[in-house]
Formats: sequence, C-alpha cells, structure tokens
Amino acid sequence: MHLDVVGDTVCAFVTASEMARTGNQVTHHVTPGAASAVVSGGTLPYAEPGLQEQIDCQRAEGRLTLRSFDPTSNMHGVIFFSLQPDQRDHAVQLVDRMTCDADTAPLLVNQSAFAVGTCEMLQSRLRARFPDAVVIALPDVLQEGVALAHFQRPGHILLGCDSEPAELVMRNLLRPFNRRRDVIQVMSSREAEFSKLAISGMLATRLSFMNDMAGLAEQVNVDIEQVRRGLAADPRIGDAYLYPGCGFGGPGFSRDVMSLADTLKGSDLGAELLERVLEINERQKEVLFRKFWRHFQSDIAGRCVALWGVSFKPGTNRIQNAPALALIEALRAQDVRVQVHDPMALDELRAWLGDDSHNVAFCDTPEQACSGADALMLVTEWKQYWSPDWEHIRQVMKTPLVLDGRNVYDPAFLRSKGFLYQGVGRI
Amino acid sequence: MSELPDTVCPSSTRSWQRLGDLGRDFSGITIRDLFGRTADRFSRFSLDVDGLLLDYSKQRLDTDVFQQLLELASECQFQDWRTALFSEAHVNASEQRAAGHWRLRDPQGHPQVAHQLQRLEILADRVHQGHWRGVYGDVVTDVVNIGVGGSELGPLMASLALQDESIQARVRPRVHFVSGMDGSQLGQLLETLNPRQTLFLVSSKSFSTVDTLSNAATARDWLSRHLGEGDALLRCHFVGVSAHPEKMTAWGIPVENQLTLWDWVGGRFSLWSSIGLPVALAAGFPAFMAMLDGAREMDSHFRHADPAQNLPLVLALIDIWNVNFLDIRARAVLPYDGRLKGLPVYLEQLEMESNGKSVDRQGNAVSYHTCPVIWGEVGPNAQHAFYQLLHQGTQPVACEFVAVASRQHRQDLGASRDSLAAQHRLSLANCLAQSRLLAFGDSGEGELEKHQRYRGNQPCSTIMMDDLSPTNLGRLIAAYEHKVFAAAVIWGINPFDQWGVELGKVMSGALLPVIEGEESPAEGLDSSTEGLLGRVRR
Repeated sequence: MHLDVVGDTVCAFVTASEMARTGNQVTHHVTPGAASAVVSGGTLPYAEPGLQEQIDCQRAEGRLTLRSFDPTSNMHGVIFFSLQPDQRDHAVQLVDRMTCDADTAPLLVNQSAFAVGTCEMLQSRLRARFPDAVVIALPDVLQEGVALAHFQRPGHILLGCDSEPAELVMRNLLRPFNRRRDVIQVMSSREAEFSKLAISGMLATRLSFMNDMAGLAEQVNVDIEQVRRGLAADPRIGDAYLYPGCGFGGPGFSRDVMSLADTLKGSDLGAELLERVLEINERQKEVLFRKFWRHFQSDIAGRCVALWGVSFKPGTNRIQNAPALALIEALRAQDVRVQVHDPMALDELRAWLGDDSHNVAFCDTPEQACSGADALMLVTEWKQYWSPDWEHIRQVMKTPLVLDGRNVYDPAFLRSKGFLYQGVGRI
Repeated sequence: MSELPDTVCPSSTRSWQRLGDLGRDFSGITIRDLFGRTADRFSRFSLDVDGLLLDYSKQRLDTDVFQQLLELASECQFQDWRTALFSEAHVNASEQRAAGHWRLRDPQGHPQVAHQLQRLEILADRVHQGHWRGVYGDVVTDVVNIGVGGSELGPLMASLALQDESIQARVRPRVHFVSGMDGSQLGQLLETLNPRQTLFLVSSKSFSTVDTLSNAATARDWLSRHLGEGDALLRCHFVGVSAHPEKMTAWGIPVENQLTLWDWVGGRFSLWSSIGLPVALAAGFPAFMAMLDGAREMDSHFRHADPAQNLPLVLALIDIWNVNFLDIRARAVLPYDGRLKGLPVYLEQLEMESNGKSVDRQGNAVSYHTCPVIWGEVGPNAQHAFYQLLHQGTQPVACEFVAVASRQHRQDLGASRDSLAAQHRLSLANCLAQSRLLAFGDSGEGELEKHQRYRGNQPCSTIMMDDLSPTNLGRLIAAYEHKVFAAAVIWGINPFDQWGVELGKVMSGALLPVIEGEESPAEGLDSSTEGLLGRVRR
C-alpha cells in the first residue's frame, strides 16, 4: 500500500520504517524541529537502538521516502500522524489544506498524544472537504529504548475506530505485527484516546504512591525496598512500576499525564488525584536536593555535587522533564557547582542550558564528575553506574556522601566502603 | 538642619474668623441649593491629577469659602512647612527627627534606600523563583507577615488592592497577615500551614512591639516543635524587618535575613520601605516599584502644584472646613471596589494616629477640633450596615467615596469575566447613586411619610481612579499622606508622633503580674479595675 507518515517523533520514525519494512511504499513528512536534518541524510536525534539502521536500509531499498512537511502536500489515502503534543496546529493545518489523489476517502490515523476528542474534531474539519473521510486513533504506546521491538511484537494494540471499512484497512496494515494472537482491541476514538492517557495516569499514580510511601518509610525507619517486595508479591498488585525514586520524566510519560490532567481540568470534574500525582512527582524530582540541603544544614552555597545521569531514563539521550534538570536548577540557584556525567545526553543538556552554563561542568567520566564533590547524586540508573571504582571515588570526593535516586546500591556495602549513603525510602 | 517655620495659631488668623462667619451663613444652605445656584459646580470643584479625579462639588462650600480656605493655608505658612517636609528639617519636633517617607520613593536620590530596595528585590525574587527553601529543603509557598499597626495595615491594604497583578514567578506565595496580640489569629492560621514551606516575616520598626514579638515567639515554637531547633531553622524560616538590626540579631534572625528601615520613617508611613516586602511578594516586585513611582509623582505634585490645584491640600481644606466650621466631626471612607477593603482601616490609622492631637507645636492645648472620627467599609457592604445612619440618622457625616472607573479582570477567570465586569458596573452605579442621595436627599415629590424621607445634605467627595494600577494606588496613598501633613500644618500640630499610644503599654506591664497571680493589686487601684481583676483571678 501507499502510505504517508507525518511527524518527527520516535513513533513516527518507527511507524514509517516498519511499514516500509513490511512492504508498503511510505512517504514520511518530517515536521520542522530537531529531526528535520534526517530528510537530507542527517542522523536521527534519538538514540533508539536499531532505528537509524532500519531507516537507512528502507531508504536504500526504495520503499521509504523522507521529505519536509508541507501541509498542502498531496497524500495517498492512509495518513499516520505522530506529532509532538504541542504540534496540534500541524494536524489542523494538514486536515484543512492537504490534497488527496486516492480513489477512496482519506483515512487519518492519529498516534499523537492530544487531548481527548481531537480525532472527532479533526474528522469533522476534514469532512468539510472529504465527506467520507475518517480519523481514527492508534495511540503511541511504544517504550523508548525498545521501540522497534515493541512495535514488532506489541502486547496489545488500542484501536480507536468508529468505521468498519477503516478497521478493515487497519487490521490489514497491522497484520504482520498481530500474528500469534489478536491483540487489537477496538473501541471508539475517544475511548482509545482516553485509555492511552489513563494508562499513563495509572502508572504515574503507582510511582507517586510509592514515592509517597518512601517518604513515610524514612520517617518511621522502614526500608521501602522490603515494602516494595511485599507489595509486588501480591498478585492483585504485581511488580511493575513500584520502584520509588527521584521522580519520573521523559517526553512521553509525564506529558501524557499532564495531557490527561488538562483534559479533566477542562471538564467540571477536575483531576484531583492526577494533579496530586504530578505535584508529588515534581516534589520528588527535588528529593535528592532536599537530602543534600538537610545534610549540610542548609549551608550549601559554594559546595559541589557530582550528578550521574541526565536523560530521563537509561538508553536514551532525551531529557524532556527529566528530574536531573530540576535538580541542576535547584542546585545552581543556591550557588552549588554541578559536575555532570551522562553517557549520551550531555549535548542535549548543553542545548537546554543555552548560554547559561554557569556552575555546570560537563565530565567525560563518572569518576571525573566526583572530583572534589560534596555529594554524588545518582539520577539515571545507566548500567555503567552500578559498580564503579568506589575506592577511587571515595578518595577524590570531598565529602563521601552518596545520594541514590534510584535505590540501585546496597546501603550496607557502600557504608562498608566508608560512604554516607541515603537512598529514597531506605534506611 | 534647617529651622522650622513659625507655627501660627489658626484660630487667631483673619481667614479663620472669616470662615467662621461663612460657616454660620452656610447653616441654612443645602447642597441642593448650591447646585441650583451654580450649574457647573463639577468643573469648578473638581481636580484631575494623573489618573485620579477628585470631585468635591458635593461638599457644602462655594468659591468664597474655598478662597478663604486657601488664605487660611497661606496664613498658616503652608508653603514654608511644605518646603520643610521635603528637607532635613526636624518636622517631627517632639522626636527630633525629619519625616522622610518621601525619600523612600526616590531611591535614585537616596543610596541607602536603593540598597534596601535591591535587597528586597533579591529576597522577593528568591521566593518567586522557588529558591527560598525551608530547613528540610522544601520550596516556601506561604509567607506570614507578623506585624501590627504600620507594619500590617499598609502592606495588607496594598496586597489586597493589587491582587489582580500578574506576576512572573514559578511560585506565587500565599501571603498571610497576623497581628492579634492574643494569638487567636495566628493559632487558626497555623492549622492550615505546612511548617516546612512557611516563611515568617517579623516586621516591627522598633522590634520591641509586644504583640509582634509574642506572635513571633509562638511561630518559632511551632516551627521548632515540627522541625527541630537550630540555626538553620532561623536562617530558613525567618526574615526580619526593622530599624533596629541589633534587636533582630539578638532575637536570632541572621544578618543576611534582615531588611532595615530608618528612624526617620514613621510606622504608618513605612509601606514604601522594606515593611512593604509582603506587597512585593504578593503582587511582584515590579508592581511594588510602580507603586513607589506613583507615590513619587504625587510627591512632586504636592510639592509644586499651586495650592488651589493641589490635591492633598484640597483634601485637607475640605476636612478643616467640615470639622471646624460646619461642625461635622465624622468622616466615612467608602471604597466601591472590594480590592480596597483594607483602605478604611489603613486610613483610620494614618489619619487618626497622625492628627488625633490636642496640643499644638508650642505645647498649648488647642481650642478647636482636629482630626474627625474616621471609619469605613467597602461601600456596597456598608450600605447594608451603617448607611441607615448616614441617610436618616441625626449625625452629620462627611462621606468620601473611592471608586475605580475601569477594571480588567484576570484572563484566568475565563468566562466568569463578563459577569464579574457586570458586577463592577453595578457597584459603580451604586456608588454614584448613594453619593447623589446623600447629597441631595429624595426629590421631595410624591406623598412620602416622614420616616420615608431622605433629607440629604451630607457632604460627599468622590475620588475616581482610572484603574487600580500599582501606580494609581501609589498616587492615592501618597495623596492621603500629604493631606494628613497639610491638615496638621493648619491645625498647628505634629502629625508624626504618637505619644498617645505609649502609656497603655506601660500600664499593661504593671497589670500582667497581677493577672498572672504573681502580685496583688496595687494599693489605691480604682474599684472598676479591681473588680475586673477579681473576676479574672477568680
């Protein structure tokens, strides 16, 4: 089939290249932004394993064409769009201005995290020019770092589709990825949009709940790690998303929760719980700051911190809403120098800081970041941070204080190495 | 230091005698008559000064009276005194100091003022950026101003007035005010606060005010019970504002958390100094500066405008005419905008504590009345409280309406903005209607029973602000300050001291041990106090 994909998200690139790999002719319209260079042969701004290679391969095979987004482009009939949440304007421009030379009415497949009801809105606009056009929702549930594998072998697919012919087309396109058993669950577009946001909301709620519990555990002298295992053993609860830590971030997760909170705020119902969830998370991003502040009795001006891990999770260079950013800002505001290491995200951090990199040092090695530091903050649990040369680190640090934002270290072991250790909810 | 001008006994001047005669002539003349005689009273008896319109055409005066009042000001050396105010001269003679509140509005001319403003800005900015942290490292979200009198009424009034100001901040702190000596206000507030996120401003010019220090002690006790003792607690949760840094230090406030003012600022004139920190926190530092700018413009107007066009002087002359020649000894302050809720009580202190005096600058008892009794309330609410007395009671009362011509409601109020705008117009309609009715009474037409009649003839002024911007608020408040000074010049009294609030403090100090049961009542105590003490000690 001849398909169009619009957008510059990881999901857009994955969808375009996977659809091409399964034999479709795909034109990918890349929206202006960090990824626009890909069109002219530049590299992806995402460190998604295997994705760049697959794009290159599909382009070489001739099934994937990349071009710059132009809302007046001629489209082929089935159009995926996976835009950033703040690019709703692009979607509106597209439905208002695109042309379509297909024999059948255009089918738009929205993968972007927009507010609930966006598909219906787009459909009614599009129908002003194409009376039989259909807009459906195929929410992006890809996990960064394993996005390709996830697309190829999805655990489930939410399809928000109110039209039978459209469902038939979609089932056909998704057939290569839906073989072992049928994982497609069909519902209305509104329901699919809402489900996607609710999934993120539920996961975020579990994390904020655990973070809240971790705070309490510290006060009553209980190790949250034991509590977490106890909870995970209960089959009604399960073990996913129970790790307390220094907050969640990322372009997808926190954005979806915010989008859901916004959706509910617009209604008269309000999103009391989700607002608290987000509030707890924002607070949690500063938990290591507070431990540092408390340790030095608020006398922290002029001190120095080693910060390990800037990306919002291991395996990516993305830093949107990452807890490290909140920490860096909080520390710099108190005149604390921050020595940062991250295996992939330092360039993104440089760009985010812009002209003002005052009191931030970018370090080539984790050990280098620790030199002269009054504390080591572990923020992103890259595997290479799990077992560093502690002897050396203790020698180069000014104060041997380890603040473990992901609870990856064994408190007893670190204490035996002469460190002062504080985790999140650990004793 | 330059010499003070002579103090003239106003009642011995020619114009005072002449005004006495005019006052007697006016006893039978109504406001309705005055408007009947002169059609263009509004254009003759109104002033338009930079965003403030004063309409005093509904006062019981005419051109002759006004000329004589100006003559009185001149005979009382008004211009020389005004020059003295804007100098180093000790216009506050009983305390041997200048009165320098106007300097607070001119940081460029006064480096020490500029320095404190800069510190205030840094402090406010830290709170707004979310960088002021409690002892556990939490972002401060609530600020409690502990202060009383001038350390509360001005900042409270202005914070309420500027509540619509938008502010560029990650944190817009909730700003609370507590003053009550008995702690009931503070006790109630503490229940709603998170100690980790609360910053207290202990604000006292002398840093010896017992009301404030007892509230501050309670706050400190509350914090240390929740968060533990220590230097960090004071560093993270207390800011002090005072003219006496050594006392702040003794109390435990670290030097870097101290903002200062100076003895040459009177407490009730101190809104413009570091005492105004809560305004900068609630409405933003730019709004605070704009308020100072507006006040500086009014300083310049008061200093340079001709007496007949001089807004503060005209306000003072109206009061003097009403009090001393028409024997109207009460004035109601009636703002028709809920944001000016704090204005009446602010003016009660500013005017009554300044000019509630009966001894002139020479130390002689005065033979005439000085400051009237002033009270007030937001107009539409007062309509349901004491307007009955204004319309049909036996007391003559001068009424001062304060209205805001246009109001822009905040964007975030969304669809409610339209109905709120309609409410604003409704309130304005009430303001104009009430001042008409008070001045002119009912039309006299139709068959009305006596108890249904409105006799009118209550003199009214209206101050109409174009809008309630920080600049206009600064102009308005500075105009009242200078009005107080101008009236004091004519009455021959010192508006900058307040000896009448001292002795009560001393006497309470003597009674406290008796109430606590440590001492017996002193010999020869009056039977009333003895009886009351008996009930307390029972």
